[in-house]
Amino acid sequence: MSVGVLRFPGTNCDRDVFEALEGAGRKPEWLWHADQFDSRKHEALFLPGGFSYGDYLRSGALAARAPAMKSVREAAERGVPVLGICNGFQILCEAGLLPGALVRNRGLRFIDDWVSLRSVNKHAQFARAGGSARLPIAHADGRFVVSDDELKKLQDRGQIWWQYESNPNGAAHDIAGVMNEKKNVAALMPHPERAMHAWMGGTDGVGFFE
Amino acid sequence: MNKTSAEFKSKLKTYRLNEGEYDMICGLLKRDPNNIEWALFSALWSEHCSYKSSKVHLKKLFNKSSRVLESFGENAGVVDLGDGERIAFKIESHNHPSYIEPYQGAATGVGGILRDIFTMGARPIALADYLCFGQPSAHRMTSIVDGVVRGIGGYGNCVGVPTITGQTEFDKSYDGNVLCNAMAVGLFRPGEKVFLSKAKGVGNWVVYVGAKTGRDGVHGASMASESFGADSAAKRPTIQIGDPFFEKLLIESCLEVMKQDLVVAIQDMGAAGLTSSSFEMSSKGGVGFKIHLDQVPLRDSSMTPEDVLLSESQERMLLICEPSKFEALSAVFQKWGLDAARIGEVTEKKTVELHWKGEKLTEIDPDLLVENAPQYQRPFKVLPPQNRVARREWTSKRAGGANAAKCLDLCLRDVRGTSRKFIYRQYDSRVGAATARDTSDSVGVVRLKDSGRALGVVLGCRPHIMRLDARIGGLDAIAYPALELALKGFETLAVTDCLNFGNPEKENVMSDFVAALDGMNQVCASLEAPIISGNVSFYNETMGKNITPTPSTGLVGLRDSVENMPESFFTAPDQLVYVLRLPGFMTGGADQESWGTGPQAIGDLEGRVVGDFVRVARRLSQAPGVRATRAIGKFGLAYALARMTMPSDIGAVIDTEGLKMMRPELDETALFEEHLYEAFIAVDASRAVDFEDAFSAVRQASPTAELHRVGRTVQGSLEIGAFLKVDSAQLKESYNSGWSQNFESLA
Repeated sequence: MSVGVLRFPGTNCDRDVFEALEGAGRKPEWLWHADQFDSRKHEALFLPGGFSYGDYLRSGALAARAPAMKSVREAAERGVPVLGICNGFQILCEAGLLPGALVRNRGLRFIDDWVSLRSVNKHAQFARAGGSARLPIAHADGRFVVSDDELKKLQDRGQIWWQYESNPNGAAHDIAGVMNEKKNVAALMPHPERAMHAWMGGTDGVGFFE
Repeated sequence: MNKTSAEFKSKLKTYRLNEGEYDMICGLLKRDPNNIEWALFSALWSEHCSYKSSKVHLKKLFNKSSRVLESFGENAGVVDLGDGERIAFKIESHNHPSYIEPYQGAATGVGGILRDIFTMGARPIALADYLCFGQPSAHRMTSIVDGVVRGIGGYGNCVGVPTITGQTEFDKSYDGNVLCNAMAVGLFRPGEKVFLSKAKGVGNWVVYVGAKTGRDGVHGASMASESFGADSAAKRPTIQIGDPFFEKLLIESCLEVMKQDLVVAIQDMGAAGLTSSSFEMSSKGGVGFKIHLDQVPLRDSSMTPEDVLLSESQERMLLICEPSKFEALSAVFQKWGLDAARIGEVTEKKTVELHWKGEKLTEIDPDLLVENAPQYQRPFKVLPPQNRVARREWTSKRAGGANAAKCLDLCLRDVRGTSRKFIYRQYDSRVGAATARDTSDSVGVVRLKDSGRALGVVLGCRPHIMRLDARIGGLDAIAYPALELALKGFETLAVTDCLNFGNPEKENVMSDFVAALDGMNQVCASLEAPIISGNVSFYNETMGKNITPTPSTGLVGLRDSVENMPESFFTAPDQLVYVLRLPGFMTGGADQESWGTGPQAIGDLEGRVVGDFVRVARRLSQAPGVRATRAIGKFGLAYALARMTMPSDIGAVIDTEGLKMMRPELDETALFEEHLYEAFIAVDASRAVDFEDAFSAVRQASPTAELHRVGRTVQGSLEIGAFLKVDSAQLKESYNSGWSQNFESLA
């Protein structure tokens, strides 16, 4: 079975994720935003980063309403693993498939940097090893926000996936990545596809694609 | 036309043409120009489009090499890397717009240079920015810095092209006229075709794609060809507004129609918009165009044909397509949410006909506008070597006497020496997943996916050297970045330049221009690295004050792989520290202007000698055991060593004996002198013999080059002879806090 990689107008990490999957021995396949797809045909779905619809209205808001997202929702309900990276995280929150929202960074500027992360709860498919990771970030809207009640639920249900060792953007509870209640949909702001080889600066991203 | 009439005078002023040019136009047309023709000549004969003051000198540039596939005359230069890989690259200025409206000015500068690259069929893989700002205390400077940086980030991040290197300078000469030069590099993977702007095929369609045309940027090209007066804010309406999301769609759709071979020729609409793209495509192809201006998609239906011709609305392309392929082409653009509009056709007779609602506005030979623009031999003098002194006499006044540690601290906190992390943190440096070295290094590196080789990109031109002597400064604008590439093992392949100068009608400005080109040319010839693309930005003058002559450069180099590249910082204690140097030319370093008695230099330099030295540096940097390399630049050896302690906290002990070999007249000011050229190289102690043997083996290529062992690396501190000893943590603190001391509100 193939791994579906979604492409929206303005997605710009699509080819990077595609190549990371190929490098990990997976069979990636493009999924176009304007078309619904058969949600039973993919072993996993990836929503790469970028600026879908130019971040107009709010980051992820327009993409969350694209026809392909209907199929993503079906797949998610069926239990197919779905991973969102950066803008993919924003889209999944806007689509209501993940809790919380991502708003403008503390400091109101785009941040490009490397961050250290610790895994709070493991994910069954993506980065199963957990532990710690050092990955690049590149985002303007990366501050995860969530109500206190909801945060408590996330903690109780083990939905917090990754936390920043040193919070770069003001995210609530240092959260860098979360999962849905069923733990099949997961997303993070850092870019694992940019840490696949030593020459990139690190290899901690490999586990997300295997 | 009656030349004494007020109407005539006002027309010359509106269209920024002079009386001599008007006479030339009448001579070429054999009649008076009509209204639309005034506008056409104004745009295409502007300095910005015609290079009328620089063309006679640009013809002399070194531009030949077996690797060059396309050079000036196309949107960007194309270089063959072998193994089927080719790259297109170019640097371009957006100075005037960035001063008037920093965010949009800088953003559209990035957008424009990217279009120059993908219009040729290359996917953009790297961006680099060369910025010159005024003093932090200058009027509006904080908001200009903020706006320019946000603009570059806002555009580059969204289109998804990584910014991998850059250079940022500060000097009072840019207080009223900042420089914003953007460079883009694009890659043709094996089998991908290079697309040109030469129109072909009578009966083919002229097709407009991309954003609709609005009134923004009308007369932008002629605005950029004028000096600033007191009314620069009033020029805001000539600034274009960019939309990086649209550009991203344009990149993907254009590359897709090219891949499907649906395009005959293509050019972006840059300066002077539809006018320059249509006339240039027609002129180059030797064919005619019949264009219906009323078919151009407009944002505002009340626009006049003149507005349509001169609008510099962003994210637009003009292409030639066979009629039978239009449907397929249109489908691709539609898929990406863009419209393709047929606005004319290619005709046999080499004239451009412009129509508007059934009326023929003009029919004119495109060569009159493109090929027959005036070429001026502006007056200049051949400059003698400048600012030479017999012996060194500068002293570190600023630090208040002999205190090297205090002096180094000032350099690390100075706006010219402090960390640029505030800037680069706002740019995506890794999108594309090919970045091997980012803006924290002296060279930006991307890995080429098909061959696994490394492509290095570095910018050059150091204004403090330009202020010293324009020829040496020009030479340095190639030599210093070439040395930086060489120190990481890269061979410089080719160069792009952006010649930012003041008013060319002034003899001293033109003299600097000629001298700088001469210096650049010498080193390019010696390195066999041709200058293949770029632009000239004159009239960087505000209220009669000209900027430092600033010929910024972008160099591209190639290396076999991304593995085993030396770092720019010390990686471990107990390595040996060497200096590789070319004796001969010394300056007081960047800070002489504030410490000493003004620009001063001893010695002279020849391009050939420098080129040979760069080659030796390259071979030596690939010798066994080399772990770190760094050129010694502004603020001299103390500053270079301090930078090499970051981020690893590995410092060095430089012993007095070693120092004396580098600086026979040893006193504390010697630690801050700049010598062209020197570099530190750190080597595993166990490989010292191999390394020194390697130098013996290569040194005959540069007989005057010297190699000295000057010290060794240690954990946690930097010690230079008896002059200073500082903790690495303190160096880091100074380097990282200087920015916020200069720009309090930009932290």
